[in-house]
Amino acid sequence: MSATATNTPRLERAYARLGVLLIAPTILVFSLVIVYPLLAAIYLSVFSIYTPTLQGNFVGADNYVKLLTGHEFWNSLGVTLVWTFGTLTLQIVFGVGMALLLHQNIWFRSLARSLVLFPYFLSTVVAVLVWRWLFNDLYGAMNHGLMQLGILDMPLDWLGSMPNAMIGVILVGAWKYFPFVVIAVLARLQTIPEHLYEAARIDGAGPVARFWDVTMPQLRNVLTVIILLRAIWDFKEFDLIYLLTGGGPVTSTQTLSLLVYQEAFGLNRMGQAAAYSVGMMLVMLVFMVLYIRRTGKES
Amino acid sequence: MADVTLRNVRKQFGTFVALEKLDIDIRSGEFVALLGPSGCGKSTTLRMLAGLEFPTSGEISIGGRVVNDVAPGKRDIAMVFQSYALYPHMTVGENIEYPLKKRGVKATERKAAVLRAAEMLQLEPLLDRKPKQLSGGQQQRVALGRALVRDPQVFLLDEPLSNLDAKLRSYMRAELIELHRRLGKTMVYVTHDQLEAMTMASRIAVMFDGRLQQFDTPAAVYNRPANRFVASFIGTPSMNQLEGAVDGSTFRVAGHAIPIDRSRFVHALGSGTFVLGVRPEFVTIGGGDLPARIRLVENTGHEQIVTLELTDGTRLLARTDAARRLDVGQSVQIGFHPDALHLFAPEETGRRLNKDDAASVIPMRSR
Amino acid sequence: MQSPLRTLILNLVTWTLVLLIAFPLLWMIITSVKPQTELFRIPPTWFPETITFEHYWRLLSETPFLTYFRNSVVLASTTTLFVVCLGTLGAYSLVRFRYRGRETLAMLVLFTYLLPSVVLIIPLYLMMVAIGLSNTLVSLILAHTTFALPYALWLLRSFMEGIPEDLESAALVDGASRMGAFRDIILPQLLPGIISTALFTFILSWNEYLYALVLVNSDSVAPLTTGVMSMLISTFNIEWSLLMAASVMMSLPLIIVFAFLQSYLTSGFGAGGVKG
Repeated sequence: MSATATNTPRLERAYARLGVLLIAPTILVFSLVIVYPLLAAIYLSVFSIYTPTLQGNFVGADNYVKLLTGHEFWNSLGVTLVWTFGTLTLQIVFGVGMALLLHQNIWFRSLARSLVLFPYFLSTVVAVLVWRWLFNDLYGAMNHGLMQLGILDMPLDWLGSMPNAMIGVILVGAWKYFPFVVIAVLARLQTIPEHLYEAARIDGAGPVARFWDVTMPQLRNVLTVIILLRAIWDFKEFDLIYLLTGGGPVTSTQTLSLLVYQEAFGLNRMGQAAAYSVGMMLVMLVFMVLYIRRTGKES
Repeated sequence: MADVTLRNVRKQFGTFVALEKLDIDIRSGEFVALLGPSGCGKSTTLRMLAGLEFPTSGEISIGGRVVNDVAPGKRDIAMVFQSYALYPHMTVGENIEYPLKKRGVKATERKAAVLRAAEMLQLEPLLDRKPKQLSGGQQQRVALGRALVRDPQVFLLDEPLSNLDAKLRSYMRAELIELHRRLGKTMVYVTHDQLEAMTMASRIAVMFDGRLQQFDTPAAVYNRPANRFVASFIGTPSMNQLEGAVDGSTFRVAGHAIPIDRSRFVHALGSGTFVLGVRPEFVTIGGGDLPARIRLVENTGHEQIVTLELTDGTRLLARTDAARRLDVGQSVQIGFHPDALHLFAPEETGRRLNKDDAASVIPMRSR
Repeated sequence: MQSPLRTLILNLVTWTLVLLIAFPLLWMIITSVKPQTELFRIPPTWFPETITFEHYWRLLSETPFLTYFRNSVVLASTTTLFVVCLGTLGAYSLVRFRYRGRETLAMLVLFTYLLPSVVLIIPLYLMMVAIGLSNTLVSLILAHTTFALPYALWLLRSFMEGIPEDLESAALVDGASRMGAFRDIILPQLLPGIISTALFTFILSWNEYLYALVLVNSDSVAPLTTGVMSMLISTFNIEWSLLMAASVMMSLPLIIVFAFLQSYLTSGFGAGGVKG
């Protein structure tokens, strides 16, 4: 047997083959349910398709012209940005705050953590049902609670009018997703070395100074990642908003995800919907590239 | 019957060349240390011997068989990892047994072999423990046990002692020397610690920047370093290296002429810059005519390391006995033992220009 | 250093907030055991005067809830099993093998992990109709793969990277083949990661709504999410206690996971790309 002097060794080739073999089923499934549909979405976006019959004809860039000139897409983009910004801000503020509190040595800490964590894992359907019951204008606990506390004089229509509907949706979104921030920040807080705080204390820093000068710089990296990830997820949120308001009143809470769904399965214009979804993806691509580059840099 | 040979081996990771033109012949039963700073390619070399990395080109043979295409498990080698790599979910006994199991040894024989290995390394009381419950030294012994249980032809050890504390390390050094003597197997030992290499190995392969610098006995590596890198890497404190010019039978440095014996060096010494090397123990304080000032005195109890400064600011080290009284700031005359001078070409791995003969080996403390 | 007063205030503030956050969940349970008559009291009773389980009984006996529940169990378990099997092998390949395109593939996984479902839903719907799978659980399992597989791969990849490479190298030197080392050494080490990933995937699939809404429209194959929502829409007079009972029942698997396996959920977070 002569040695392979310059070629890739047989063993290395065999390993590479095994590696490809192991990933092959994943690639197959990926191509079938993700790559193909993704390309198909782009393909469909140049057709006009009537959903019930699935009959369609080629319309070229018409759908995109409508996207750019019509006000639906821009309106929904605006709604999406308001929703994302609003709910994300609340998530971060409450999430960091709660994480700082839960990092302290409080009574029954693990029970408190479980309770705070729970909404994140709860089904959106359940969350929405509970909140719709809470928001119920006649019998809802929200209105009566606020009235008993003297904050409200009379019951509010929480989800049926603006700006209440947007506020309601943002609140429920914050409630459901802020635990994500809590867990991530809490995990990072636990890795901040105690000696940094001791050094700051020796230097005469009070609790507030310690937070800004020690805690925040340590949290900066994790917060960037959280914000990017949550921004992406909030941007594409469908279930929560669809189930709470259905996009209403009229279209005032109709985010891009809802617009796509409504166009395809409500107005039966599948080609136009595909064009909207492609447009939405292009907007998201900015965040995605930022996040992917960030993650790639770390690993 | 297990020579280990690397023949013109080259290893490239992407565009980075990790190893080049590597030729090493290890004789059966030898204890060879691969020594060098981190990133020099010593671990890559070992992993290629194990079959965990593949040479980009060149040939590796073990026991006369080319093993380039042979899987690690079929090379008749055993390896001890720096991290020990004990299987966390298996007990000590199962860890040691695993290589036998993979080779289809019968259960009864396996038990006997595990017990033998455990006995040799005093591991019997630990056989049912999990690795997590062991101290670093114990884990180290389990890793050794797993390596020697199946009686391989070659042992590969990757910095096996670097995670132990100093005391345990010197104890394990003695243990490993004893083990090698008893087993008589070829051992290849990767380390960045010259003390380990000098005390344990029969030969040392000094590596730097992906290339083999010198491959020789510890004494030869110390006394006749092949080049400037080896000279500075081996020995603590390292060899003094003074840049200067050769002028007839003198070496000019800092405006002074140090007499050298031309016959001890290769004939073709042209003009230009050279580097004069002298180990600190061959720098005599008060015995020559080179003026210097004492800058620092470090007394370790049994000797003193003295930092000297020449008139042009060049610093060099001298080693003297601890009893001598030396003061910082004191002006002294220093000299070099004439038989202990090395001459090197000026580049970082500049060749040593001495004629190599036994005479250049000077007994220590002959000042 | 901490004064008792400070501790007290800290605890009061924290627990007030925690209870406020948990209130909707408590309210869900309270509503589910209130009799119908007490439900429509103004102002509402904060603690039920009488406790009844009639809504749970009605839910199980008079509605298709059990069918939905069974569908969800089948759907989430199959998706999890499918995705974790593929993902474990795939993650092993991505982390421990070298071949061309591996890095690109890893990036693609991350990209799909962030992809919005609404982009895929239209072509997927057309595809399921074309191959005659629409309105079946199989179509939902396939659709759930679109988010569950990238997620599982990403998580498992991260767990796999946490296993020291030396362990596998040692097994190879000890005589194991690559797959042998995978079985003997990597799989046992990966087990906590696999459990964590499986739990996450199960919960994701259990909670998913959009695909179920589009791909399935009959009670016999509907999972809990769309099934329970249809109970809200179908009744003229919304029966909140019944819906709250359904919500509690729907959250049962989650409560079980929280009670016994919570540490696996938190460890999955660290692996899920939120390191800083």
